[in-house]
Amino acid sequence: MSFTVPKIQSIVNKLYEHIDYFVEKYPNMTAAPYNYNYIFKYIIIGDMGVGKSCLLHQFTEKKFMANCPHTIGVEFGTRIIEVDDKKIKLQIWDTAGQERFRAVTRSYYRGAAGALMVYDITRRSTYNHLSSWLTDTRNLTNPSTVIFLIGNKSDLESTREVTYEEAKEFADENGLMFLEASAMTGQNVEEAFLETARKIYQNIQEGRLDLNASESGVQHRPSQPSRQSISSEAMHAKDQCSC
Amino acid sequence: MEELLNDVVPQEDLERFERKYQQENKVNGEVSIETKFEYACCLVRSRYTNDIRKGIMILEDLAHVHPEGKRDYIYYLAFGNARIKNYTEGLKYCRAFLDIESNDQVRALEEHIKKQSDKEVAKGMAVAGGAALVLGSIIGLGIAMARK
Repeated sequence: MSFTVPKIQSIVNKLYEHIDYFVEKYPNMTAAPYNYNYIFKYIIIGDMGVGKSCLLHQFTEKKFMANCPHTIGVEFGTRIIEVDDKKIKLQIWDTAGQERFRAVTRSYYRGAAGALMVYDITRRSTYNHLSSWLTDTRNLTNPSTVIFLIGNKSDLESTREVTYEEAKEFADENGLMFLEASAMTGQNVEEAFLETARKIYQNIQEGRLDLNASESGVQHRPSQPSRQSISSEAMHAKDQCSC
Repeated sequence: MEELLNDVVPQEDLERFERKYQQENKVNGEVSIETKFEYACCLVRSRYTNDIRKGIMILEDLAHVHPEGKRDYIYYLAFGNARIKNYTEGLKYCRAFLDIESNDQVRALEEHIKKQSDKEVAKGMAVAGGAALVLGSIIGLGIAMARK
């Protein structure tokens, strides 16, 4: 059977039709390649008023938010960072610290790749509650979740109630990463978020984190269009066009 | 904001709070404010419109009987209404909130609702315009045929 010109043309036209249909239905699939290679999910947890939202705001906006009201339920922030020449999109869920939200915010822990656990160095009670926050985190996340302890408000040295050494010891005993930071001055805020990402990335490189597990909190997006996708929508799209 | 509104509550969490709600109702004949609130928070994050509506009803009730928590209820009322595209209601709750307290979280929700509602209006106008065009052509055709 020989391929005549009209035949080829009709095939090409058919192909175009398919492409058009596809582009219309799945704009995200055929758009320019993602400008990031990974998505990491973070949660920020800790007592009310320790400065969780202010840390997030400082990290995403590089600004200090004075008079920050109590978060209702959960807030969301995102920023693209770079680790090892790889672009990583951080999706950060900032939970409310008020006790009445404790039960409902637990549903955000699942599938977190990183957990930032925050206390206030000027309020001992927020430090004393860490073990309960840690228990929740261990119970609701997976073993490879990176937990980073942040002692916030390090600018308020004169009213400090928790020493660095004490918290460092607690962190070491429990295998947590640890820094004191200040959402107000910005000191160590970048470091805390970035070091968590570096640790997660290291876990991926060393095979400690299974990317295919649905609750790893990490999504990988190779930049080529013919990507192996994780999102169900894209999987669906694949099924559709296998005609 | 988009991510928050698209995020869906895990089914097992919704069911857990539903069980707690029903259990209290069965044993005590009434449900505590805490349990009502937790259940409503999950309901408005459900993928199903009926669940969200149910959540809104519980929150409306809570806002009446428990004014101390009104701030949280009003936010979730705006949130739930936004999720079922009840934009007018959603905006109403955002404004009610912002009248009392300046709040970036609520302002972000308000802006998002405004944007979505503008989009819907534009879409509606396009559809109405198209329908008018079709109707016009049919009538025109009818008149032309009748004249023949």
